Amino acid sequence: MAKAPNNMSGLFEKLHDLKSLFKYGEKIVPIIQSLVDFMQDTVPLLENINHSIADSTAKIPAASNQINNVTSATELATTEILDLVDAISMNFDKVESKVNLAKEKNKEKTALLAELQKEVKKNSKAMELISKYMEIKESEEALDFVGELLPKFKDDTYHITLSLQVQDITAQQLAAVNHLIDSVQERLSSLIQDIDSTEIKELTVGKIQAPDGVAFDPNATYSKSKDAQNMADVIVNNVNSNHNNNNKASQDEIDKLFS
Amino acid sequence: MALKFLVVDDSVTMRRIVSNSLKNLGYDNLVEAVDGKDALAKLAADTNINFVITDWNMPVLSGLELTKAIRGDEKLNNVPILMVTTRGVKEDILEALQAKVNNYIVKPFTPQILKEKIDQILANN
Repeated sequence: MAKAPNNMSGLFEKLHDLKSLFKYGEKIVPIIQSLVDFMQDTVPLLENINHSIADSTAKIPAASNQINNVTSATELATTEILDLVDAISMNFDKVESKVNLAKEKNKEKTALLAELQKEVKKNSKAMELISKYMEIKESEEALDFVGELLPKFKDDTYHITLSLQVQDITAQQLAAVNHLIDSVQERLSSLIQDIDSTEIKELTVGKIQAPDGVAFDPNATYSKSKDAQNMADVIVNNVNSNHNNNNKASQDEIDKLFS
Repeated sequence: MALKFLVVDDSVTMRRIVSNSLKNLGYDNLVEAVDGKDALAKLAADTNINFVITDWNMPVLSGLELTKAIRGDEKLNNVPILMVTTRGVKEDILEALQAKVNNYIVKPFTPQILKEKIDQILANN
């Protein structure tokens, strides 16, 4: 009987603990409810993000192929321009040779007329006509004019071909971009596999098809600055002069040149 | 001995531009190759080729590997090599020189530079 008060006291303690737990529960339940609500809102969002990544990843091969198409198209267009420039240059050569021939013939004509003048010295009318004829210089001047312009035309067309080096350089830049896209696709693909543990079907269908035999310089730039060439010249000269002296140019020596 | 050039570049555009430039300089005797492997085949088939102008970045066999292959071949190791490439950083230039290219041009090149480098190589050989 002596244990009864202790039992009652223990019971009250337990009830008090239970009351505290209920009170704590009252406080925690709304938080848990908020968490559940948050999860309910977030899961579709995450699914959306997942779908969105999958969708974007699936579209990457198309973008990559588009870049390859651009490269092929610009190479084709450049080749056509080079063909045209070659044809124009060949025509310039033909015109130049005709102009030179016409100039020679004009010289011969002038010599013949001078000879004719000697023959018809006594015929003043004939002399006058020949002199007038010889004074007409338009055709000669026109030939001289064309003759002077032709080398400039040829030079200009040649410089068009030189400017087309930009095609090779941009092709390398685009190849570098494609390489980057390929890497992004791989990363995204791996991320999606981690999230969903299933590979996206489109990824296998739309795998990036890199064109055969592509090699590129990711830092290729089309610049008219002579800095890079000047640096190359300094290094080549330095290495060659050291080579001639039977010494090897050290990295330090070369670095000093650019410090 | 008449000069016969081998122009090596995977870009058809660049092959034509370099070849046109050589023709403008009066060098009409030339052949072209699409990569280093093709170049080695052309060199093996034509012993009259005595000057190589090569790009660096090429599939199958790069210009640098081509240079090393030429320098490692006792029949070819005296053939002058001019590297014409977009790679314009110091480390690349040094690497090419260590592989024993004779001279180095950074794209885009001008005809004056091309002539200057060919003349320099010919003067030193």
